[in-house]
This record gives sequence, C-alpha cells and structure tokens, in this order.
Amino acid sequence: MTRIIVVTSGKGGVGKTTCTANLGMALAKSDRRVVVIDADFGLRNLDLLLGLENRIVYTALDVLAKQCRLDQALVKDKRQPTLALLPAAQNRSKESITPEQMSILVDALKPHYDYILIDCPAGIEMGFRNAIATANEAIVVTTPEISAVRDADRVIGLLEANDVKRLHLIVNRLKPAMVQADMMMSVQDVQDILAIPLLGVIPDDERVIVSTNRGEPLVLEPKLSLAGLAFANIAQRLRGDKVPFLDLSAPHDDLFSRLRRMFRS
Amino acid sequence: MTSDSLPTPITQLSPNSGEVSPGSQVRFKSEGGRLLLLLPPAADTHSADSPADGPADWPLNWPELWLQIKQRLNGGDRFWQPQTAVHLVARDRLLDVRQLQAIEAALAEQQLTLRRVYTSRRQTAVAAATAGYSIEQQTSLAHLTPVATEAEQALEEPLYLQNTVRSGTEVRHPGTIVVLGDTNPGSRLVAAGDIFVWGRLRGVAHAGSAGNPHCRIMALHLEPTQLRIADKVALPPANPPVRYQPEVAYIGASGIHIATAADFARTYLSHPSR
Repeated sequence: MTRIIVVTSGKGGVGKTTCTANLGMALAKSDRRVVVIDADFGLRNLDLLLGLENRIVYTALDVLAKQCRLDQALVKDKRQPTLALLPAAQNRSKESITPEQMSILVDALKPHYDYILIDCPAGIEMGFRNAIATANEAIVVTTPEISAVRDADRVIGLLEANDVKRLHLIVNRLKPAMVQADMMMSVQDVQDILAIPLLGVIPDDERVIVSTNRGEPLVLEPKLSLAGLAFANIAQRLRGDKVPFLDLSAPHDDLFSRLRRMFRS
Repeated sequence: MTSDSLPTPITQLSPNSGEVSPGSQVRFKSEGGRLLLLLPPAADTHSADSPADGPADWPLNWPELWLQIKQRLNGGDRFWQPQTAVHLVARDRLLDVRQLQAIEAALAEQQLTLRRVYTSRRQTAVAAATAGYSIEQQTSLAHLTPVATEAEQALEEPLYLQNTVRSGTEVRHPGTIVVLGDTNPGSRLVAAGDIFVWGRLRGVAHAGSAGNPHCRIMALHLEPTQLRIADKVALPPANPPVRYQPEVAYIGASGIHIATAADFARTYLSHPSR
C-alpha cells in the first residue's frame, strides 16, 4: 500500500520543502522506494534542496502534455537510487494544473513506490488544493510562532474537511533556550491548539541553511547534526517505529551536562 | 458578585450587524423523521442588498459551500441514524450533476442517503433528474424556508457540534450553539441564542446576535479573543486567571461580566427573576 503524504503548512517559509527533502532522503536511505513531487508550480525549490536542479529535463507538465513519458521526467538521485523527484514547471502558475491531473500523475506513480511525498506550496488556494487532492495523509509543518500556528490550524481544518484524516505534526525551528526563558511557544503550547499527533520536533540549526545552499540534505551527513538526527527519527516514526523524542533542552555537546546526566543515572 | 471579573468593553455593535438569517449557512434540520439539508440561497438573489448586510451574508461559492457541508457533517455525525433519508433543499442554487454526486458521496460517508432534491431552478432539477434523484421543483419554498422578516422569530433548535472549531471557520446559527471541543483562535461563533463550549473558547464568540441581551456565553475554559453579547463587545480581562475554571459571560449592570460558573449559578440561577 503506497502512502501518499502531503507536506503542508499554510504559511510560507516554515520549512515544508526542507522537511520534504530530508524525509524523502531519510526514507530512501532505509531502502524504501520514494518519490517526492514538487507541487509548487512556478516557485519550485525542492530540486535545489536535493541538489538535482541541473539534471531536470522534463517536468510534470510535460508529462501531462504527453511530451514525454513519466519515467523520463523523474529525476533519479545518484546518492540514493531509490529516491526520485518529479519536478514542477518553473515557467507556469499554480492554475496550470488541476486536482484531476494531479491524481493522474499520482496514480501512475503509485505502483512503483512505497512513499509519495508531495511538497505543497504555501497558501490555501489552487496549488494547495492540487497538492492535497490525492493525499491520504498529511504532515503539517509549523514553527512555534503564533502566525504559523494560526495558519496551520486553518490548514488542518481544510485537510479534515477534504477527508485527509491521518495528520502528523512537525514543529520546526524550535529554540529550546528561548522556550525555557518563556520567550517562545513550547511544543506543548502548539499541540494545545492544533491537537494532532506530534511526529517530531526539529531544533533551529544554522546547518540547515548550509545544507540548503549546497543541495545536500542534512540526513546525508556522515555524522548527523541534531537537526539531521531529528529528521532521521521523524522518518523512522513515519515508518511506524517507536523512537523516543530527542531531549532538546539539554545542550548535547556540553561536557558538564554529560557528566551531570551520568551522575543522575 | 465580588468574584466577577470585568472584561474591557471596547465598542458597541451597530444594530443588526450580528443578525443571523436562518439561511446564511448550510444547515441540517430534522423534520418528520427525515433530515433536511438546507443550502443558503445563491448569489444572484442577494447581490443587490448584500453589501449592506456585511461580509458575513455574502453568498457562498461552491468550494465554500462544499467545505461547510463537510464541516457540519464531521461535527454532527453521532446523531444520525444510518440510512436516514436526506432531502436536499437547494433553493435557487444552481447545482450540476457532479456537485450533486459530491454531496451524495459526502452524505454516504455518514451513511445518509440522498433521496429528494427541492429546487426552484430548472437546471438543478434537470441535473438532479439525470443523477437519479426524485425532484420537487417549486417556485415558492415558503413552507421550507420561512422568510426572515420579523425580528422576533422563534429560535431554531440548538446546533450541536462535536469537533475542534479551527481558525478560519465561522459558525453562524439562528439559535443556540453547543460545541463539544475547543474553539481555536481565529474562529468565530455567532449565535442568536446562547453559546456553550465544553472545552476551550479561544476565538470570537457572539451570543444573542439578533439583539437579545439575556443570552450568555459559557465555557469550561474562557480565554476568548473577543466576547460579544447582543450589541456589546468586550475584550477578556487583561490579567488572565492563573487556573481556568468554568465561567459564564453575561450582560450585567455595566456591560459584559464574567463570573465563575459556581458563582453565577448561586447569584442568578437560583433567583430566576434576576
């Protein structure tokens, strides 16, 4: 049974594409057949984050226009051969495809993949409706900010009304120190409002920006950073494994706190 | 009365701004063993006077209408007996075969069956006939859609919703609204009667929207963005309580008051004359 998961948030810039790229890569690393679909027609980014921009020949629109076969448009990842990208067209708008066309694409991909991750554009207009049309699960990404949470709440309402009932929450860009100082919403505050199961928490990390610019998802690092580890854990939880949540409040590389933990146990 | 907290009054609403006409939203109503699905009237009939009514009365387009149908279905599913016949009252709304089939599929998910379509539009009647429903085409729908002219109408039966009312959702009802769940910031409840929230009330709530100052807002956890009763508007107290307990908002001597449920019951409910 192929799982069709849309990654969405409502608000822009909270990390949908970063999450899609990293989860897709992490799932592929565990030998699942994964295809990531960029549904952000006109403002595509997913190819950049995966470092696959220069290998795009055809896009999803060319497939729909029957100018190429589906497998010609799919960009296979060199690092993880089980990962493929279906790129969006950059020169068109979100109105250029319909939910029906989206389901044609997804239906054609279904038999060949275990996971189909759809990177949803920001907003709740046509692009959003295209992206959620075929999904049976959704990952809602939010940052611990009141505006992002408000938009995520609206999106969850729309997903529920559109029969996407299996929802997961990712809280991105958490700054544990700020939460402790009561200057940032905690994960609990976010969950209080959104009331959907938590899939994972990703700490704020400058390395995310570096990895984005390089086109190397964090989960590919030989020695995982905390954010990379968080993504790897989320991928595992998505597969159904029980993985305890990272303790972000403890500074991990601090010798002092390591000693303290040693004494505690 | 000492435990009363006084919310900050901010403004008065202009009369009729909160009027909930019975037809402004999708509504389910049981009548003689069948379920009526009442759609709000279509765009063209209202367009002349709708700007005066405010944006809330602006006609819905199909995606919005569809969303409302789904939300009402998701919120009330415990109360319907399987295989209940649903009669769709489409009024003057144009519906094509696909839209009718979408409605039927949504109803079928809750094990409700679409039987009959009432419409005053020929095209809708033709579409309904094509799709195989029995139709009743009428020029006047007087017995099903009482015209909202008199101000003092009897309230509709309460609307009961079991779900989280999320940001961007507005629930309007010409009667009392009961929500079993939270209402989140960014949501709005507008009721001609009382509002009960068995959960956290964090959005905007407007009770007695047709002007009844005796209406009340009750919540287990009253943490609203804004409270409105009849023509009064107030912000919640600046210092939120340390621990929330069930509270009641009502109009007292100096505008909207908030009392704990226990105090309210002691002062008001045992002396109905007050």
